[in-house]
Amino acid sequence: MVGFDYILVIIGEVLIAIGIFCDLVASIGMLRFPNFYVRLHAATLGTIGGAVVPLIGAALVAAGSDFLGTYRWFMAGGAVITAILVLMLAPAGSHALARAAHRSGAAKVFPKIADHLEEDRGGMK
Amino acid sequence: MIGLEEQVTTYILYAIPIYMIAFSLYIVRALKGPTIPDIVLAIDALTYDLAAFLVILSIFFRSPILIATAIVLALWVYSLDIYVAKYLEARELGE
Repeated sequence: MVGFDYILVIIGEVLIAIGIFCDLVASIGMLRFPNFYVRLHAATLGTIGGAVVPLIGAALVAAGSDFLGTYRWFMAGGAVITAILVLMLAPAGSHALARAAHRSGAAKVFPKIADHLEEDRGGMK
Repeated sequence: MIGLEEQVTTYILYAIPIYMIAFSLYIVRALKGPTIPDIVLAIDALTYDLAAFLVILSIFFRSPILIATAIVLALWVYSLDIYVAKYLEARELGE
Protein backbone atom coordinates (compact mmCIF):
# COMPACT_ATOMS: atom_id res chain seq x y z
CA MET A 1 0.00 0.00 0.00
CA VAL A 2 1.60 3.18 -1.20
CA GLY A 3 0.55 6.28 0.65
CA PHE A 4 -1.31 9.22 -0.89
CA ASP A 5 1.59 11.56 -0.09
CA TYR A 6 3.95 9.35 -2.06
CA ILE A 7 1.71 9.52 -5.17
CA LEU A 8 1.54 13.33 -4.90
CA VAL A 9 5.33 13.56 -4.67
CA ILE A 10 5.86 11.24 -7.67
CA ILE A 11 3.42 13.23 -9.86
CA GLY A 12 5.11 16.46 -8.78
CA GLU A 13 8.55 15.12 -9.63
CA VAL A 14 7.38 14.04 -13.08
CA LEU A 15 6.01 17.57 -13.69
CA ILE A 16 9.31 19.08 -12.50
CA ALA A 17 11.19 16.79 -14.92
CA ILE A 18 8.99 17.95 -17.83
CA GLY A 19 9.65 21.55 -16.79
CA ILE A 20 13.42 21.04 -16.67
CA PHE A 21 13.40 19.49 -20.16
CA CYS A 22 11.33 22.39 -21.58
CA ASP A 23 13.65 24.88 -19.86
CA LEU A 24 16.80 23.36 -21.34
CA VAL A 25 15.29 23.17 -24.85
CA ALA A 26 14.06 26.77 -24.59
CA SER A 27 17.48 28.07 -23.53
CA ILE A 28 19.18 26.28 -26.43
CA GLY A 29 16.58 27.72 -28.80
CA MET A 30 17.00 31.20 -27.31
CA LEU A 31 20.72 30.96 -28.06
CA ARG A 32 20.51 29.57 -31.59
CA PHE A 33 17.41 31.07 -33.24
CA PRO A 34 18.16 33.76 -35.84
CA ASN A 35 16.10 36.83 -34.91
CA PHE A 36 13.84 38.32 -32.25
CA TYR A 37 10.52 37.10 -33.64
CA VAL A 38 11.71 33.49 -33.79
CA ARG A 39 13.12 33.79 -30.28
CA LEU A 40 9.63 34.66 -29.02
CA HIS A 41 8.78 31.03 -29.71
CA ALA A 42 11.57 29.84 -27.40
CA ALA A 43 10.49 32.36 -24.77
CA THR A 44 6.95 30.95 -24.80
CA LEU A 45 8.33 27.43 -24.27
CA GLY A 46 10.58 28.70 -21.50
CA THR A 47 7.86 30.53 -19.58
CA ILE A 48 4.83 28.27 -19.91
CA GLY A 49 6.59 24.92 -20.19
CA GLY A 50 9.59 25.84 -18.09
CA ALA A 51 8.00 27.87 -15.29
CA VAL A 52 4.27 27.08 -14.94
CA VAL A 53 4.61 23.28 -15.15
CA PRO A 54 7.43 22.94 -12.55
CA LEU A 55 5.60 25.42 -10.28
CA ILE A 56 2.53 23.14 -10.27
CA GLY A 57 4.89 20.19 -9.71
CA ALA A 58 6.62 21.96 -6.83
CA ALA A 59 3.21 22.68 -5.29
CA LEU A 60 2.35 18.97 -5.43
CA VAL A 61 5.75 17.99 -3.97
CA ALA A 62 5.36 20.53 -1.16
CA ALA A 63 1.81 19.35 -0.42
CA GLY A 64 2.93 15.75 -0.18
CA SER A 65 6.10 16.27 1.89
CA ASP A 66 5.44 15.64 5.57
CA PHE A 67 8.93 16.69 6.62
CA LEU A 68 8.26 20.34 5.74
CA GLY A 69 5.95 20.77 8.71
CA THR A 70 2.82 22.91 8.81
CA TYR A 71 4.28 25.47 6.44
CA ARG A 72 3.97 23.07 3.50
CA TRP A 73 0.44 24.29 2.81
CA PHE A 74 1.75 27.86 2.66
CA MET A 75 4.43 26.72 0.20
CA ALA A 76 1.95 24.80 -1.96
CA GLY A 77 -0.51 27.71 -2.08
CA GLY A 78 2.23 30.21 -2.86
CA ALA A 79 3.52 28.01 -5.67
CA VAL A 80 0.03 27.72 -7.22
CA ILE A 81 -0.48 31.50 -6.98
CA THR A 82 2.90 32.11 -8.63
CA ALA A 83 1.98 29.65 -11.40
CA ILE A 84 -1.33 31.44 -12.08
CA LEU A 85 0.46 34.82 -12.10
CA VAL A 86 3.09 33.61 -14.58
CA LEU A 87 0.37 32.01 -16.71
CA MET A 88 -1.41 35.37 -16.99
CA LEU A 89 1.54 37.78 -17.10
CA ALA A 90 4.08 36.08 -19.39
CA PRO A 91 1.96 36.03 -22.61
CA ALA A 92 0.77 39.61 -21.99
CA GLY A 93 4.30 40.88 -21.45
CA SER A 94 5.87 39.16 -24.43
CA HIS A 95 2.94 40.23 -26.65
CA ALA A 96 3.38 43.88 -25.64
CA LEU A 97 7.13 43.61 -26.23
CA ALA A 98 6.69 42.05 -29.69
CA ARG A 99 4.14 44.67 -30.71
CA ALA A 100 6.38 47.52 -29.60
CA ALA A 101 9.44 45.98 -31.28
CA HIS A 102 7.63 45.64 -34.60
CA ARG A 103 6.00 49.07 -34.53
CA SER A 104 9.17 50.92 -33.56
CA GLY A 105 11.45 48.92 -35.86
CA ALA A 106 13.84 48.09 -33.04
CA ALA A 107 14.21 44.47 -34.17
CA LYS A 108 14.57 43.81 -37.87
CA VAL A 109 12.93 40.79 -39.51
CA PHE A 110 16.19 39.77 -41.12
CA PRO A 111 15.98 36.31 -42.75
CA LYS A 112 12.55 37.11 -44.13
CA ILE A 113 10.33 35.71 -46.86
CA ALA A 114 7.30 37.96 -46.34
CA ASP A 115 6.23 40.45 -43.67
CA HIS A 116 2.52 41.03 -44.25
CA LEU A 117 2.08 43.16 -41.13
CA GLU A 118 4.61 45.67 -42.42
CA GLU A 119 2.94 45.71 -45.85
CA ASP A 120 -0.45 46.34 -44.26
CA ARG A 121 0.95 49.35 -42.43
CA GLY A 122 2.19 50.72 -45.75
CA GLY A 123 5.85 50.56 -44.84
CA MET A 124 6.95 48.50 -47.86
CA LYS A 125 10.73 48.73 -47.92
CA MET B 1 12.38 1.72 -0.21
CA ILE B 2 14.15 4.91 0.75
CA GLY B 3 12.41 7.59 2.76
CA LEU B 4 10.38 10.39 1.21
CA GLU B 5 12.60 13.18 2.53
CA GLU B 6 15.78 11.62 1.20
CA GLN B 7 14.19 10.94 -2.19
CA VAL B 8 12.92 14.53 -2.64
CA THR B 9 16.27 15.99 -1.56
CA THR B 10 18.25 13.76 -3.93
CA TYR B 11 15.90 14.57 -6.83
CA ILE B 12 16.25 18.33 -6.34
CA LEU B 13 20.01 17.94 -5.93
CA TYR B 14 20.19 16.36 -9.39
CA ALA B 15 17.82 18.98 -10.85
CA ILE B 16 19.89 22.01 -9.77
CA PRO B 17 22.82 21.63 -12.29
CA ILE B 18 20.44 21.34 -15.28
CA TYR B 19 18.76 24.57 -14.20
CA MET B 20 22.20 26.16 -13.91
CA ILE B 21 23.06 25.14 -17.50
CA ALA B 22 19.78 26.65 -18.78
CA PHE B 23 20.35 29.87 -16.80
CA SER B 24 23.88 30.28 -18.19
CA LEU B 25 22.58 29.87 -21.76
CA TYR B 26 19.93 32.56 -21.10
CA ILE B 27 22.62 34.85 -19.64
CA VAL B 28 24.77 34.38 -22.77
CA ARG B 29 21.84 35.54 -24.92
CA ALA B 30 21.14 38.46 -22.56
CA LEU B 31 24.76 39.61 -22.75
CA LYS B 32 25.24 39.36 -26.51
CA GLY B 33 21.68 40.08 -27.73
CA PRO B 34 22.00 42.43 -30.70
CA THR B 35 18.93 44.57 -29.98
CA ILE B 36 17.12 45.80 -26.88
CA PRO B 37 14.05 43.50 -27.32
CA ASP B 38 16.37 40.48 -27.44
CA ILE B 39 17.95 41.43 -24.12
CA VAL B 40 14.60 42.09 -22.47
CA LEU B 41 13.15 38.82 -23.79
CA ALA B 42 16.12 36.82 -22.47
CA ILE B 43 15.87 38.49 -19.04
CA ASP B 44 12.11 37.85 -19.14
CA ALA B 45 12.45 34.10 -19.69
CA LEU B 46 15.39 33.92 -17.24
CA THR B 47 13.44 35.59 -14.44
CA TYR B 48 10.28 33.49 -14.83
CA ASP B 49 12.42 30.38 -14.67
CA LEU B 50 14.25 31.82 -11.67
CA ALA B 51 10.89 32.19 -9.89
CA ALA B 52 10.18 28.49 -10.47
CA PHE B 53 13.72 27.65 -9.34
CA LEU B 54 13.25 29.64 -6.11
CA VAL B 55 10.11 27.64 -5.27
CA ILE B 56 12.04 24.40 -5.82
CA LEU B 57 14.91 25.74 -3.68
CA SER B 58 12.47 26.58 -0.89
CA ILE B 59 11.55 22.88 -0.74
CA PHE B 60 15.25 21.98 -0.77
CA PHE B 61 16.22 24.38 2.03
CA ARG B 62 12.90 23.94 3.95
CA SER B 63 12.45 27.71 4.19
CA PRO B 64 8.97 29.02 3.25
CA ILE B 65 10.11 32.66 3.05
CA LEU B 66 11.53 32.10 -0.47
CA ILE B 67 7.97 31.78 -1.87
CA ALA B 68 7.34 35.51 -1.30
CA THR B 69 10.44 36.44 -3.31
CA ALA B 70 9.24 34.29 -6.23
CA ILE B 71 5.88 36.14 -6.44
CA VAL B 72 7.62 39.54 -6.30
CA LEU B 73 10.10 38.46 -9.01
CA ALA B 74 7.29 37.44 -11.40
CA LEU B 75 5.50 40.79 -10.92
CA TRP B 76 8.75 42.78 -11.30
CA VAL B 77 9.70 41.28 -14.64
CA TYR B 78 6.20 41.92 -16.00
CA SER B 79 6.59 45.59 -15.14
CA LEU B 80 9.99 45.56 -16.91
CA ASP B 81 8.28 44.20 -20.05
CA ILE B 82 5.55 46.83 -19.99
CA TYR B 83 7.95 49.73 -19.36
CA VAL B 84 10.35 48.71 -22.13
CA ALA B 85 7.45 48.18 -24.57
CA LYS B 86 6.02 51.57 -23.69
CA TYR B 87 9.41 53.24 -24.14
CA LEU B 88 10.08 51.56 -27.49
CA GLU B 89 6.69 52.52 -28.85
CA ALA B 90 6.32 56.11 -27.64
CA ARG B 91 9.90 57.14 -26.62
CA GLU B 92 8.66 58.20 -23.19
CA LEU B 93 7.85 56.38 -19.99
CA GLY B 94 4.44 57.82 -19.19
CA GLU B 95 3.41 59.57 -16.02
